[in-house]
Amino acid sequence: MAPPSAEPPARPTGWSAPGPEGHILLEGVTKRFAALGWPALDNVDLSIPRGCFFTVIGPSGAGKSTLLRILAGLAAPDGGRVSIFGEPPRQASRAKHLGWVPQSPALLPWRTVAENVRLPLQVNRAARCEARDPEEILARVGLTHARNMLPSQLSGGMRQRVAIARAFAFLPRVLLMDEPFGALDEMTREHMAHLLLELWQADRPTVVFVTHSVAEAVLLSDRVAVLGQGRLSAPVEVDLGRPRPEGIEDSERFYQLTSSLRAQLRQAFLGAGG
Amino acid sequence: MARAALPAGGGRQATAGVTLSRLASLVRPANWLPTVLALAAVAGAWQLVASSTTAIIPTLGAIWSAFAGHTVALFANGGDTLAEALPGLAISYVVAIVLAVAMSQSRVVTRAVLPLAVALNVSPIIAFAPPLSIAFGLGRAPRVVLAAVITFFPSLINAIVGLGSADQGALEVFQTLHASRWETLWRLRLPASLPYLFAAARISAPLSLVGAAVAEMVLGGTNVGLGIWINTASANAQLNLAWAGIAVLAFFGLLLTGLVAGLEAWVLKRRGFR
Repeated sequence: MAPPSAEPPARPTGWSAPGPEGHILLEGVTKRFAALGWPALDNVDLSIPRGCFFTVIGPSGAGKSTLLRILAGLAAPDGGRVSIFGEPPRQASRAKHLGWVPQSPALLPWRTVAENVRLPLQVNRAARCEARDPEEILARVGLTHARNMLPSQLSGGMRQRVAIARAFAFLPRVLLMDEPFGALDEMTREHMAHLLLELWQADRPTVVFVTHSVAEAVLLSDRVAVLGQGRLSAPVEVDLGRPRPEGIEDSERFYQLTSSLRAQLRQAFLGAGG
Repeated sequence: MARAALPAGGGRQATAGVTLSRLASLVRPANWLPTVLALAAVAGAWQLVASSTTAIIPTLGAIWSAFAGHTVALFANGGDTLAEALPGLAISYVVAIVLAVAMSQSRVVTRAVLPLAVALNVSPIIAFAPPLSIAFGLGRAPRVVLAAVITFFPSLINAIVGLGSADQGALEVFQTLHASRWETLWRLRLPASLPYLFAAARISAPLSLVGAAVAEMVLGGTNVGLGIWINTASANAQLNLAWAGIAVLAFFGLLLTGLVAGLEAWVLKRRGFR
């Protein structure tokens, strides 16, 4: 839980410090794979202001993970320019500004929960980063009792909580999350989304989140964009207020936003030959 | 801390339950009857053939008598063969792991070493014995070297595969944290290779006995070891003694395999791989 004094404003003001230093920028980014009949990313332009929770939704194979991998510096674009607050992804990674949460929790099976959370603090020590106390972050994700357990002794939801705690442990400026709740059941998924919101509210890193779930996207995000056949739609502003009010999922505005995004998603799906 | 103690107690109960259920499964005929029946069938066929060709194949009774009359000598010679096999195994294992680590870090080393290793693997190892005896004399040294040579390739290949077996998601986490090669090797690739290193040991341990025994047979020299025993007994037409020697060699092979498998199960469970 975030302490009351750290309560952020209802709407993140001053997001967009002018210039590339205040934004994640993609300009004309293109990526092709020989096996695909169309570009995975086709001349994508995107601007994500600092502190924004940005979600990309789209059908399978739409290029969502490719977009995220390019932002993480794990893949190079064939064309275009990528900048993370003014620096290229490789440089952002060198400075330990990027947190990566892959689809699977990707925990090290021989390390306990606490040791897994501590991992980012033990590598690339040359990069100066603000570190959070791993014990504190474990407490915040409700895993203090499991700190000495191995990943094989945890449920799927607990493993994903460890992966998220690991990503928040070194306070990265940007969190890149590739369908982190995709393998979880509906209830656990909902619980994880709320947990992520709580953690995010406290530090407000910029998040680029990829998901299949429209409801999850609306609940979590400030902006949502649909990616279909390598093309990114204009982002939809999610004007639901921060922190999200209790029961927001049952509100009319929530329903309107999800309906509008579903319609866009359907179009993208049909365009992809689905 | 009291909360942390609870799962540990539960864990002990669970472990006891698992041990009991394993014991129960061993008692179930479906688990042991096929092995017993197969052994009985082989023994029956052996007796059938042996009863008509006693001069070529001794009966099981005759082999047992030879074993019972020379138990101490057989096991003493088996100990000598083991004393040649184990240092050979240790040398090849260490060299293989060091080379595999070097190969995982440098393509140049891979291109230099792998063809040589493959050439060594496809060469008739027995042919190495005479030149080895010239190089190392007729003592134990050439036997140790031959045991090392015969076990080198499986150890190297398993170590190479193991070092490349780290989870892709975990590798990406290391990459986005800009972990150095050394950090990735030490904290991810080496620990992740543990199951493969044990698989290598399971193959190489009995193979080292084969290497040592074959070296004894081909090289002669020091008048100890089961290879010498089998050779001498065969030359003197004491086939019951030769087969007793083979049985003891097989026993040592099984013992080594069992020890490695036991250690593997224990370590991999403690390290969270199972």
